[in-house]
Amino acid sequence: MPDDPERVATDISLRGFEVASVEHGRPAVIDFEITANRPDCLSHLGLAREASAIWRLPLRLPDVAIPAAGAAPPLEVDVEDRELCPRYCAQMFEVSVQPSPEWLRTRLEAAGVRPINNVVDVTNYVLLELGQPMHAFDYAKLTGRRIIVRRARPGERLRTLDGFDRQLDPDMLVIADGERPTAIGGVMGGQDSEIDRSTTVIVLESATFQAVSVRRTSKRLGLKTEASIRFERGADIAAPLVGIARAAALLAQIGAGRPLGEVIDRYSAPQRPRAIVLRGARIARVLGQDVPAGEVPGLLEPLGFQVQATAAGDAAWAVTVPSFRVDVAREIDLIEEVGRHYGFDRLPVTFPALSAAQPPPDPAIARERLVRQVLTAAGFSEAMTFAFIERQAALPFCDLGETPAAIANPLSEKFAVLRPSLLPGLVDACAHNRRRARKDIRLFETGSRFTSAGETRSAAFAWCGAAADPHWSSAPRTVDFFDVKGAVEQFCAAFGISAGFATADRPWLMAGRAAAVTAQPGGEVMHLGVFGQLLQAIAEARGFPRGEEMYVAEIDLDVVARLAADDALRVESLPRFPSIVRDIAIVIDEVLPAAAVRGTIRSAAPETLVSIAEFDRYKGKGVPEGRVSLALRLTFRATDRTLTDEDAEVATDGIVKALAAAHAAERR
Amino acid sequence: MPDPASQIEDLRAQFERDLAAATGEAAVRGVRDRYLSRKGGLLSALLKALGTAPADERPRLGRLANELKEDIETQLGARLSAVEQSRPPSGAVDVTLPGRIPTLGHRHPLTLLRERIEAIFTRFGFLVIEGPELEDDYHNFEALNMPADHPARDMQDTLYLETPMRSAVGSQATLLRTHTSGMQIRYMEQHPPPVRLIAPGRVYRRDSFDLTHTPMFTQVEGLVVGEDVTLADLKGTLDAFARELFGADRRVRFRPSFFPYTEPSAELDISCGACAGTGCATCKRTGWLEILGSGMVHPAVFEAVGYDPERYTGFAFGMGIERVAQLKWGVEDIRLFYENDLRFLEQFPL
Ligand SMILES: [Zn+2]
Repeated sequence: MPDDPERVATDISLRGFEVASVEHGRPAVIDFEITANRPDCLSHLGLAREASAIWRLPLRLPDVAIPAAGAAPPLEVDVEDRELCPRYCAQMFEVSVQPSPEWLRTRLEAAGVRPINNVVDVTNYVLLELGQPMHAFDYAKLTGRRIIVRRARPGERLRTLDGFDRQLDPDMLVIADGERPTAIGGVMGGQDSEIDRSTTVIVLESATFQAVSVRRTSKRLGLKTEASIRFERGADIAAPLVGIARAAALLAQIGAGRPLGEVIDRYSAPQRPRAIVLRGARIARVLGQDVPAGEVPGLLEPLGFQVQATAAGDAAWAVTVPSFRVDVAREIDLIEEVGRHYGFDRLPVTFPALSAAQPPPDPAIARERLVRQVLTAAGFSEAMTFAFIERQAALPFCDLGETPAAIANPLSEKFAVLRPSLLPGLVDACAHNRRRARKDIRLFETGSRFTSAGETRSAAFAWCGAAADPHWSSAPRTVDFFDVKGAVEQFCAAFGISAGFATADRPWLMAGRAAAVTAQPGGEVMHLGVFGQLLQAIAEARGFPRGEEMYVAEIDLDVVARLAADDALRVESLPRFPSIVRDIAIVIDEVLPAAAVRGTIRSAAPETLVSIAEFDRYKGKGVPEGRVSLALRLTFRATDRTLTDEDAEVATDGIVKALAAAHAAERR
Repeated sequence: MPDPASQIEDLRAQFERDLAAATGEAAVRGVRDRYLSRKGGLLSALLKALGTAPADERPRLGRLANELKEDIETQLGARLSAVEQSRPPSGAVDVTLPGRIPTLGHRHPLTLLRERIEAIFTRFGFLVIEGPELEDDYHNFEALNMPADHPARDMQDTLYLETPMRSAVGSQATLLRTHTSGMQIRYMEQHPPPVRLIAPGRVYRRDSFDLTHTPMFTQVEGLVVGEDVTLADLKGTLDAFARELFGADRRVRFRPSFFPYTEPSAELDISCGACAGTGCATCKRTGWLEILGSGMVHPAVFEAVGYDPERYTGFAFGMGIERVAQLKWGVEDIRLFYENDLRFLEQFPL
């Protein structure tokens, strides 16, 4: 075995025991983190066994010779619930309670255990050495000279050794005397039967308890102990007897006491050791390496397995699993043991062969990549915010009649509910940046949101400050509604969606500056999302400065998926004849939507109208109060001939007449 | 009175310095005016001063002064014609003024890294799948060999929903997924082997919120199932991945470990980049950094999805992208990934 503790630590860590720390001292102390599958290594013996396998050293077991016993006073032991307590051993000792000798105290302290008195110290020592938890009761304090292992009765209570008064319930296993519980099985003893300086006779308990029951009890009581940690991972059915023998040897060695009578062993359903067939071919199939048949027994036997070659021609063994290896249940567990001690570093490095084509990828992945492309191209940086947020932050973004979905066991109030929208996270991110003197902010996020419809995907963005990066050539302009609408239009165009816009009403958007985005493929109206100016009170409540505007948008990606799913693009042939352009300016009521004007134009225009573009909107001098001048550019083109000026005049006149009739529009 | 001859030489030297320092037409004209101006020019001032020199010196000094004057005129003339020739054409712009940069946003660093990881595995022939963030107990735990009351459930402290809710795949969800393995189970339930996929996504744990932990983080898990998939294949795949992501000079090692859904299980360490493996604070003096967990798929998982564990073997792995990003870019505080401070986000390439 290497002298250097660092080497020892590294070699053991390469067998699957992560090293938490190495303290160089006398003695050097190495602290390992033991994985949940190896309760046998929550002990020095367990790690010594691993060491003996690593360095091919003989394993020396501790001295368990039981010295001669005196006569025992009467004690009755009954196990009522054998399922929760498969084995219960007890041994009485005559003791004189004193401080432990120096060597024992030093070793306990090195392992982080506070010495108490010789009897308790011996039980702790055996726990650390062999991994078997034990508990000493003061015999004199056991009413009725009885030990009954049973479920707690409704309403029973116990003051545990840590001083807390515990409420018990019938799912919990207790160790009771003739009257009341004196310990919680596999978890902690009670104060009333605790040993002290006046104790002369003890009952030393060494048992196994069912893992699931100990785990539930420990969780319910919020009480994790050295004993419960071991029992909930699975107990060695052989360990109770060994533990008592070892404790007896130690008590005798330090002059703390001697056994009285025989060991009481309540073990009604003895378990046979597991036997598993291990095939050499299977080892190669899993590890990718032929481990020579001659090497396999030598890898397993030092770990306590009994390996017997089977009669079959192929390399195969019948392996008997030692009782302390509760984790080894099937062949794969043995293959892991072979691989672990053969050394993962000795395995070859290969690459798995492809044997079939992959199914097509999920289109959602490409879709969200396109979302990122479009929005970063529009100047938005990508944010990532938590899916769980404060209730107060979520509430303003819930649709009418909805409440945010709550987390049953949140980490804190800050993470209490699932976000109903990506916007609260973005608002907070904007406020965070704004507090750090950043004025111009564009952020977006894609992710899941959680509403009464369940988990859905969306893309959202927030924009505040300048509409464009400042430049020496022009005066800065603050973002407005139409910047955000442009980004939404661009977004829809990227997915080939022709979107419609209408005034919307949402509790988190400013009235009059909120729009709903819809699409109508084949008549059915689908709601893509909403955008507009965030209600100032909401931004302000999250720390955003009063009086500064923030615009937000959120688009439902599941709806985008349904709209973009149809990849039926057919290219249109390019026009063969030139187009002709006519500008008209009309004065209309200022609240008349541009969409209404377009609608009237479309229905009045001949087929040759190919586009309408608003290019100026003017209010003020020369335009009556309450009216607005709107300038439109109309483009006409025919597919079969070059249009004449006259064609355009006729079309334009017709349009102007229709506008006058429908909207009392006057041509300017 | 100083030696008049040396005064002449001093003025010549001063002129040459001034002319050399003058850049641009206006500056050269300024030098001309300063030296040659009839009123107050430095040269006429010198000539005036020479008038007080002794009579027998004057002819020599006059000659020297005239030489200097001619010299100055010649040099200035040459410089002026040179700068006139380099005068910008009409309509020229100042090319050194800042341009109008189209505003481009930055992708989040976790997206950058995730896409890089996806690109590597896609090249290795892996399919990328995504799944619901809300899960049920069966897909998150049971099917992964973690029955109720299994101590390994403590490894992944779970956040539960107060009321069950519909997940993105329409299932009845009760918890926030603690890993993306649930999606792999769903995939295996629907597709027979062979399987070769990665499942990236956000996962949730009831974890503290500090320098190295966040209650939400991003995972990439991988799964390969076939008739002859071995631990050696796992080593080869992850070795190639780690070297491509971190650099060919990094060494990797596999350490046995424990996960309920893999057997054997292994953790992958890469040699520390900060100290080249000699031991430093970053690697807690070990020379190694743990980056992912992996192992051979446990037969119980195959049984749960209806694969024959005798016929098929497979490997699985999983890593937290935040940790990989921290190591790769030297981000000490993991919380920076979720603060969305533009000063942080804008440091990453587009
Ligand atoms: Zn290092």
